Amino acid sequence: MNRSICKVSAILCFILMLTTSGFAADTIKVGLIDCYSGPPSTYTNDVRDAFKLAVDAINAKGGVLGKKIEFQTRDTKFKVDLGIAAAKELIMKENVNLLMGTINSAEALAISDICKAEKIPLLVTFSKSEAITGAKGHRYVFSFTENTAMAGKAAAVGLSKKPYVKYWIAGDDYEYGHAIGNAVWENLQKLNPKVELLGQTWWKVGEPDFTPYISSILAAKPDAVIVATGGASCVPFLKAAKATGFNEKVPFFMHTATELSTLQPLGLDAPEGVIGTSNYFFYYPQTPENKQFADEFQKAYGRPPKVGALYGYITAMFLKKAYEKAGAVDTEKFVDALEGLSVDSPIGPLTMRAFDHQLMLPMYMGVTKKDPGYDFLVASDIVTIPGEAVMPSIEDIQKARGK
Amino acid sequence: MAEGIALQTILQQLLVGLSRTTILFIVASGMSLVLGVLRIPNLAHGSFYMIGAFLAYSVSAAIGSTMGFWTAVLVAPIGVALLSFAIERGLFRHLYDREHLMLLLFTFSFTLVFSDLVKLIWGSDYRSMPVPEVFQGSILVMGLTLPLYNAFLLAVGPIVAIGLWLLTQKTKIGKIARAAAVDREMVDAIGINVQMIYSVVFVIGCFLAGLGGALVAPTQNITQGMDHGIIMETFLIVIVGGLGNIWGALTGALVFGLSHAVGIMVFPQFAIVIPYLAVVVILMFRPRGLLKSIW
Repeated sequence: MNRSICKVSAILCFILMLTTSGFAADTIKVGLIDCYSGPPSTYTNDVRDAFKLAVDAINAKGGVLGKKIEFQTRDTKFKVDLGIAAAKELIMKENVNLLMGTINSAEALAISDICKAEKIPLLVTFSKSEAITGAKGHRYVFSFTENTAMAGKAAAVGLSKKPYVKYWIAGDDYEYGHAIGNAVWENLQKLNPKVELLGQTWWKVGEPDFTPYISSILAAKPDAVIVATGGASCVPFLKAAKATGFNEKVPFFMHTATELSTLQPLGLDAPEGVIGTSNYFFYYPQTPENKQFADEFQKAYGRPPKVGALYGYITAMFLKKAYEKAGAVDTEKFVDALEGLSVDSPIGPLTMRAFDHQLMLPMYMGVTKKDPGYDFLVASDIVTIPGEAVMPSIEDIQKARGK
Repeated sequence: MAEGIALQTILQQLLVGLSRTTILFIVASGMSLVLGVLRIPNLAHGSFYMIGAFLAYSVSAAIGSTMGFWTAVLVAPIGVALLSFAIERGLFRHLYDREHLMLLLFTFSFTLVFSDLVKLIWGSDYRSMPVPEVFQGSILVMGLTLPLYNAFLLAVGPIVAIGLWLLTQKTKIGKIARAAAVDREMVDAIGINVQMIYSVVFVIGCFLAGLGGALVAPTQNITQGMDHGIIMETFLIVIVGGLGNIWGALTGALVFGLSHAVGIMVFPQFAIVIPYLAVVVILMFRPRGLLKSIW
C-alpha cells in the first residue's frame, strides 16, 4: 500500500516537473538568485528593478536575436544552502541560459562552483568578495560590481594624497570588514610608506551601538581612521559619529559612506565631512546618459536609483550586447563574446576585462555634505578614480589563482 | 595596550557603557518580570522591542522635531502594550500550564510572525530616527565629552528602576504579583484573580520592551534583526542576574554594559567576546546568577 503511494507520488512529481516550467518557449531565460528579504533587500531590489527596466526596454524593441529575455527571481534569504538549491532548481528544472546574483559573497562563490560544473554563465551583481573573479575565478563567472580589492585600492589612492600618518582601522569582524580593511591598508602602505597603524578595533556584525568604540578610538588620537564596515552598520555608525562629534575631531574613511542607501535613511542627520567611495550616484556624473537613466528609474519606481540599480542595468546591457555579438543563444559563444566587451553605460563606456571577467568600474571618492537641493546629504568634491587604476593587477590575479 | 590609558578615558568609557546599560536594563527587567511571575521564557520579547523602535520611528516621522520624539517615547510603548495585551488574552493565557519547551517554541514562532509583520508594514529599508534637537551635540562632564542623548539615557535608567521598585513593592498589584510568583495556587485559593495579574504583568513587561526600543531608536538603525540581537543579550543578562529578579536584571545589565565598554578600550581587537567571557566566569562561580533567583 505504502509502496504504491510512493510510486504514484513519484510519477506525479515527475509529471509536475516536466510541465511546470515558468518560462515560455524560445526565450532567453535568466534566473535571478538573491536575498529579497531582510535588510539586504534595500540593495538587491534596486538590482532587480533596474534589470527589469532594461529588459522591458529590450523586449519592447523585439528582444535579442529575435528572442525575448525572460527572468525569474528566487529569494534565498541570505542563506547559502537556499542559494545552492535555487541555482540547481533553475538550471535543472527551468533550463535557464544564465544565472545572476547575489549579495551574499559566500552564496555567490557556492553558486559559482555549480555554474563552473554545469557550464552556465553566472553574472555576479553585488557580492564584494575579490575571490569571485580572483582566486576562485573561472570561465563561466563574471562580476559586474566592484570588490574589496578594488575599493581598497581606490581608497588607498585617495588617502595617500592626504597628509595623515597615524591610522586606526575599525570594522565589522567578518569577511567583508577584514577584506576591505586589509586591502586599504596594504595598498596604502605601498603608496605611502610613512603611514603607521596605531591599532585596530573589530566589532560584531550588526553591532547596535558604536559610541563606546568611537570614544575609545578617539582617545588613541589617530590622524585618520579607516572604517571597514558595510551594509546595515553604515547607518548607525554614521549616526554615532555625528553624536560623538567623531567627524569633526578626526577624519575618517568609510567605503559606501557616500552612497544613497547609507545617506538617505539618515536624512539631514548624517555627519558632514566623511570620506567615502562608491560606484554610482544618481546625481553624478552629470551627463545626459546618467540623467536619462535616473529619470527613467525614478519614473518607473518612484525613487532615485541607488548603486545596485547601476549593476542591474549594466548587466542587462552587457547581456544583450554579448548575445548579439555571439550571434546565437550559445553559452560558449556568449562567454567568448562577453570577454573584453564594452558598452556605453549611464556612467560612460565600461569594459569587461577578458582575463579575469571583472568589470572595470571607476570609483568615485567624495565627501559627505549638505546640499540645499536634497533632504539628505550628498557626495561633494567628487574625484573619479578610473577603472584601470582600481583593478587588481593581472599578476595579482595569477598569483591568487596559484598559477 | 592597557598602559597609557588615562583615568579620564576610562571614566568616559564607563559613562558611555552606562547609557547602554540603561537600555539593556529596561528591556531585561521587562523580560525578568514576565519570567518571574508568568514563568514564560518569552523569546518574542525582542520582537516587542523591535516593534517599539519601529512605532517610535513612525510617530516621530509623522510629528517631527522634539515634540515628535516625546510623543514617540510615550506612544510606542503603549502601542506595544496594547499588542501584547491582545496576544496575552487571545493566546498566551491558554498555555500557562504547558511545559517550558512548548512555551519556548510558541514564543519563538511569534518572533517569526512578528518579523514578517514588521517587514509587511515598514518594508525592508533601514529606518533612522533623528536624535531630538534638545539632545543633539554633547556636554562636558568633568572634562569628558558625552553625547547629550547618552546623558539623557543615564537619567532615564534610575527613573525606570525606581518606578519598577515602587510598582513591585508599594502597590497592591505588585505585592500580589510577587506572591503569585512564589505560589500561584495559594494566591488563586484566597480568591485573587491570578489571570488578571498575569495579564497586567505581561503587559507591563512588554511595555518595557517597547520603551527600550523607543529609547534606543535615535541611536541606531531601525531594522529587521534588531530582535535577534537584543534577545541574546537580554537572556544572558537575566540569567546572570538571577531569573525573575528585577535587581538581578539591573546587575546583569551593569555587568554586560560595563564589561563591553571597558573591553573595547583594553582589548579593542577582541572586544566582542569580553561581555560573554564575563558571563561565563560569573556562571562558573555562581551558576544560579548573582542575585537570588525566583525560580
